[in-house]
Amino acid sequence: MKKEEIKLIIDNRRLDGRKFDELRPIKIEAGVLKRADGSCYLEMGGNKVVAAVYGPREVHPKHLEDPSKAIIRYRYSMAPFSVEERKRPGPDRRSIEISKVSREALEPVIMKELFPRSTIDIFVEVLQADAGSRTACLNAASVALIDAGIPMKGIVTSVAVAKVDGVLVLDPIKEEDYYGEADVPFAFLIRNGKIESISLLQMDGRLTFEELKEALRLAKKGAMKIYQLQREAIMKKYIKEEVIE
Amino acid sequence: MNEEVLMEIRRDYVLSKLRDGERIDGRKFDEIRHIEIKTGVFKKAEGSALVKLGNTQVAVGIKMQPGEPFPDTPDQGIIIVNAELVPLASPTFEPGPPDENAIELARVVDRGIRHSKAVDLSKLCIEEGSKVWIIFIDIWALDDDGNLMDASALAAISALLDTKVPAERFELGDDFPLPVRDLPIAITSLVVEDKILVDPCRDELSVGRNVITVTTDQEDNIVSIQKGGPFLLSEEKLDEIIELSIRKARDVRSILSKI
Amino acid sequence: MISRKIVLPGDLISTNPKAAGVNTYVENGNVYARVLGLLDKTETTVRVIPLKGRYIPSLNDTVIGIVKEVTANGWIIDINSPYMAFLPIPENPDMKVNKRPNEVLDIGDAIIAKVMNIDPKMKVTLTMKDKLCRAIRLGRIVIINPTRVPRVIGKKGSMIKLLKSELDIQIIVGQNGLIWLNGDRRKVSIAEEAIYLIELEAHTEGLTDRIAEFIRKKKDEILR
Repeated sequence: MKKEEIKLIIDNRRLDGRKFDELRPIKIEAGVLKRADGSCYLEMGGNKVVAAVYGPREVHPKHLEDPSKAIIRYRYSMAPFSVEERKRPGPDRRSIEISKVSREALEPVIMKELFPRSTIDIFVEVLQADAGSRTACLNAASVALIDAGIPMKGIVTSVAVAKVDGVLVLDPIKEEDYYGEADVPFAFLIRNGKIESISLLQMDGRLTFEELKEALRLAKKGAMKIYQLQREAIMKKYIKEEVIE
Repeated sequence: MNEEVLMEIRRDYVLSKLRDGERIDGRKFDEIRHIEIKTGVFKKAEGSALVKLGNTQVAVGIKMQPGEPFPDTPDQGIIIVNAELVPLASPTFEPGPPDENAIELARVVDRGIRHSKAVDLSKLCIEEGSKVWIIFIDIWALDDDGNLMDASALAAISALLDTKVPAERFELGDDFPLPVRDLPIAITSLVVEDKILVDPCRDELSVGRNVITVTTDQEDNIVSIQKGGPFLLSEEKLDEIIELSIRKARDVRSILSKI
Repeated sequence: MISRKIVLPGDLISTNPKAAGVNTYVENGNVYARVLGLLDKTETTVRVIPLKGRYIPSLNDTVIGIVKEVTANGWIIDINSPYMAFLPIPENPDMKVNKRPNEVLDIGDAIIAKVMNIDPKMKVTLTMKDKLCRAIRLGRIVIINPTRVPRVIGKKGSMIKLLKSELDIQIIVGQNGLIWLNGDRRKVSIAEEAIYLIELEAHTEGLTDRIAEFIRKKKDEILR
């Protein structure tokens, strides 16, 4: 089917029945792995991802050490069975780019100066992929970092906005991503319930300046909802700690 | 702490308890940890399973596509098993291509499936000599608390049981369930001094990676044996281990047949 | 019974920068939490007690470490931290003029030491010149999550006093999560199990009583 022929908005609803500013169902669970220092399992629409944090720990090889702060490493990886056509194991160009921008979204928030000559390693595996796997991974990584006790300025939350049939929609599905006119993933630093700044921003497609501003507004709305779920996931795991002798 | 040093410290505790006839988690010597099997978890896969063996967790996804048969078996489907010990699963796993442990694990799981003839490869021929079904079994370790081998083997057969051949997608007819006709089960035991510990957890492996994996089919035939670890094994010990493995495999198989 | 609120990184916990205590940071006159932890507010300070995290050495901490490498000037010690520590020869009272370093402490040996100095690059220097310090030749070492160490010690040392009195063994707790136990083998085993229990249930009420109960039960078992 030609790209121009498919209708993505019918009667003010999207293909999966959602309103323009509605998120897909999200499920978040913190502390799901025994070996990792921090971990998180997250579902966002059809995405199923698991994130693990190790660190701060010694850097190997030593020459990568920074004498004044921790280095941050982020590895986004997709399991071969996560997509329709089997993906060969190992990093491809897309995974490498996603790893880079995701790392850069978390780096300014992590207090690296507290841990010179060490590394904080973040690994995220996509076990089932749908559009927006990079945003799902970043949300999971954020929770895993909290679960690992890593000092941070605040919490990082990620969500994407797409333009389909001339309309801006929140948290796009595969068809919207593929057939739409633009795809804009965002990540924000959220502190004390307030969005402070943008830590990840990419744009693939074509938008006017006004449209970008509207996309930002829409993304912020969605991010605040996801932030609440991230908090709840941590609270659920640690609530029993609130009572001590 | 450096993983080796940590293991050294744990070692004393494990050995001390063993001498009192106990395991550190209170299990009997022939007791397997709690098993949880979930199938159909990953929707993009033709079949999938998530297995928890105690705290050890493994995900397996099955992907299928048509391809060319091997020249010496022109009417047989192909099974390819790959395992990745992704860095997420353990502080000791590093990013990169599969190392000797990942390769050994994949090959042992493969042998169990192949020699038990769990999948009838002759039913996977599309066009003799030119097109057959290829089954990719991808093992993704998620949490290594010891004995990824048995967890992986169990997840692999569980995923196969869950698999639907995607004929429609390739315009080769209707989808159909993958014909699975046996249930190979791998049982790994740790040999410590004169004791045999079934399903060792990671802390128990601190005394030495001296393990044996025995895979059996539903008729109690042995379809794979792998001695893993630099130790010397006596015949008597081997007999004991095989008898034990056959017995324990039956227990695990009954859990499997319930899903 | 005290109840403390859980805070997450970025949560605003005070508008008085002078009150900022550990695991907080100040920005624009506000004090925020910087780790997942329990909020501890007093009249003068506001701090966060971390629930998770690696051991990061502090000056004067008592630590238990394992010798990783022997050099001409001293020993490199693994202290269960992202940072290795160094014990210089002059700081080891066991070192004598006619001995080589590896004859006094060799790879794999365990020691109890104190953190003497930490430089800005996190190079940690240890000393054994303190009455608690020694090379460990006997006994057993247990490792727990370092954030649980305060619970093993207990309020005003109540938990550790209980273990020592009920079991009549030596116990030295390292801030880095390593604990040394020495005494009758079976009593040491009981202590070890009790410590893992404390680690697991650190958050629950009445823990001291339950540990006391657990120890008494185990003691009865071994005497039978």
